[in-house]
Amino acid sequence: MSTVLATYNIKGGVGKTSAAVNLAYLAARDGHPTLLWDLDPQGASTYLLRVKPKLRGGGERLLRRRSEVAELIKGTDHQYLDLLPADFSLRHLDLELDGFKHPTRRLARVLEPLEAEYDYIFLDCAPSISLVSESVFEAADVLLVPIIPATLSSRTFEPLAELVGSEGGAGGVQVLAFFSMVEVRKSLHREVMARVRAAHPGLMLGAAIPAADEIERMGEARTIVELLAPGSRAAIAYRALWWDIRRRVRTAA
Amino acid sequence: MTRARWDEELLAAPELSAGAAARRLREGLQAHGFELLAGATTRARRIFLDSFDGRLQAAGLAAVHLRRDGAETVGRLAVVKREGGAEVAGEDRFPAPGGPILALDLAVGPVREALLPVIDVRALLPLAELDGELTEYAVLDDERKTVTRLTIEQAGLVAGVAPGPLLRVRLRLQEVRGYRSDRQRVSACARELGFVVPRHRLLDEAVLAAGGNPGGTSAKVAVELIPSQRSDAAAAAVLRALAEVVEDNLEGAIADLDVEFLHDLRVAVRRGRSVQKELRGVFAPDALAHFRREFKWVQQVTGRSRDLDVYVLEFGEMRALVPEPIQADLDLVVRVLGEQRAAARRAMARELGSPRMAALRRDWDACLEELVALPVADRPDAEVAVAELAGRRIAKVYQRMRKMGEAIDGHSPSEDYHEIRKQGKELRYLLELFGAPLFPAAAVKPMVKALKRLQDVLGRHQDREVQRRTLRELAEPVSAQPGRAEALMAMGVLAERLYEDELAARDEFAERFAEFTAQPLREQVKATFR
Repeated sequence: MSTVLATYNIKGGVGKTSAAVNLAYLAARDGHPTLLWDLDPQGASTYLLRVKPKLRGGGERLLRRRSEVAELIKGTDHQYLDLLPADFSLRHLDLELDGFKHPTRRLARVLEPLEAEYDYIFLDCAPSISLVSESVFEAADVLLVPIIPATLSSRTFEPLAELVGSEGGAGGVQVLAFFSMVEVRKSLHREVMARVRAAHPGLMLGAAIPAADEIERMGEARTIVELLAPGSRAAIAYRALWWDIRRRVRTAA
Repeated sequence: MTRARWDEELLAAPELSAGAAARRLREGLQAHGFELLAGATTRARRIFLDSFDGRLQAAGLAAVHLRRDGAETVGRLAVVKREGGAEVAGEDRFPAPGGPILALDLAVGPVREALLPVIDVRALLPLAELDGELTEYAVLDDERKTVTRLTIEQAGLVAGVAPGPLLRVRLRLQEVRGYRSDRQRVSACARELGFVVPRHRLLDEAVLAAGGNPGGTSAKVAVELIPSQRSDAAAAAVLRALAEVVEDNLEGAIADLDVEFLHDLRVAVRRGRSVQKELRGVFAPDALAHFRREFKWVQQVTGRSRDLDVYVLEFGEMRALVPEPIQADLDLVVRVLGEQRAAARRAMARELGSPRMAALRRDWDACLEELVALPVADRPDAEVAVAELAGRRIAKVYQRMRKMGEAIDGHSPSEDYHEIRKQGKELRYLLELFGAPLFPAAAVKPMVKALKRLQDVLGRHQDREVQRRTLRELAEPVSAQPGRAEALMAMGVLAERLYEDELAARDEFAERFAEFTAQPLREQVKATFR
């Protein structure tokens, strides 16, 4: 059985993809067979892992012929890390899900045949509230929510906490949030972090990802922070985050 | 440690070093639009292991001990699939094996679980050690994405402290999921450059280079015979094969690598003695008497060790015969048994390594070599067609067993059971060594089957009696130990249980004997073996 972790936020540009790719890499580096499913039609994780954004048959085939999903998976440059790539056809995933009898259960059903093969499955979701995100909530064991510690951004977190239930999550999915793109020099960031952590102690992870050059340079170098700058604050932060997540996840692989 | 797994293995041309192979590959791949990126280089020591009779190989498995370099004393012991090298079980921090490894001595865990059903009481023996330098490469496409992984390995045999011969440079291709066509293109390119598919797997090549036999050494004897062949020639061929089994197993029996060496040696000697007896007419009487005496001596000097081997092996099972609360009282017996076994083994090793044994091996070999050339005046059966002689003997022993068995009832002395069992062994050997190659399987197989069932019961009867006797013999040394009272009481209970089982075996004898002498089988024997 694999542990399914989804990085999710209604807003874009909060460090969702960076977290998914870097955390999935760290899981694989420990020798755990790991799959990263890029659900974002923009295909940012697919690009970072140097895989061509091509999904034979598109999102529709993926949903309909789940026995063939394994054939669409691509090995990456890293041992034990595989990718289910995205392409532009995924922008219609919402409509396609709507054609199913139980649309929100569909992604979980697609993952079923892969559970035996992978210890961890990461879902990198597009920013939205849609049928896709509801389907992701259904499929995931853990929702990883990156939050920028600015007033506006952390406010988007409150309805989400409500949506999935009270502290610690409900309906099967465990919600864990972490601060992302943190600038510790900004007093506003420090204040917001302190306030949110006090309000949601069970929800907030201890590690925080800084706003760092290395993370921005990932796109240029098409690699992982851990390989690009292993000694950097960002790399250390991702390692700490992964350690913290594994410690907190209820269904440890 | 990375899981050893690859999809394809290729060999470089013999004159290429690892560096030259990589250079040739780099240039070749470039022409196809690929880039070769060098990764880490590691040194690794590998020791390949299998049982003497190659049980892992027969099961499609291999055992390998892997450590990072020669200086390290511990590494990973892994059981892998021969096909593809996928790991079945592995254990880290395992000391580099210098001698035999028994599955039962391993810590409870996946490696033991994987090995025990396959090798049972056989030891894993180190067959060859390789010192290898492995460099990992990534083959990149135009997006600089890894589409195939390569390993280039230069390995050499380790022979003692000196470096042994180098094996040919090996290239391993590992497919990256979803990039099959790229792997196929890389493979085709490597073949164009002169890389060839190896005839042997690396481990087999290493074992061969070390002078070993990758499939293991079997104790099975199956000599092909022609029905019209002279009996002395046929007997010599079969006996030579049996003598080879003795030779194969002698060293391991002396060194006590595992209990099967001695067992296989003794079975081969016993089968040889049986052939000598049943086909005595092909030998000159004086020479035969000499060898029969000498081989009897071999059986005698090895007998006690084998009995104690069996006792130690079966003690766990026997222990379960006594009530659970007093089972622990038998620990003392186990210790005494171990000491006695060690002493018996030492005595046996002296005899097996003696000049008398050496002379027997040499003389027997010479005797078989010249047998056919000897005058036939005092060898009445020498020129008889082997099918005729063997058929006669099989019919004879079968009739003898029938008579002996019919005379046995529940009150017969143990000796009667022993005697018929001995005849059963003679018959079994005749059937296996001569019956199978010379007569139709339709006649031989049902006979062997009924005989086996009969011998199982007789064997259990005999085993229980020997176990009781050994237990009695152990009473003396056990009573000299502290804590003896409980042990002796538990031994009493065990002796009683063994006796009960002995009686149960007697009860079953009648039924099995009836099967063995049933009308259809009797007629079959009569029709086939004259």
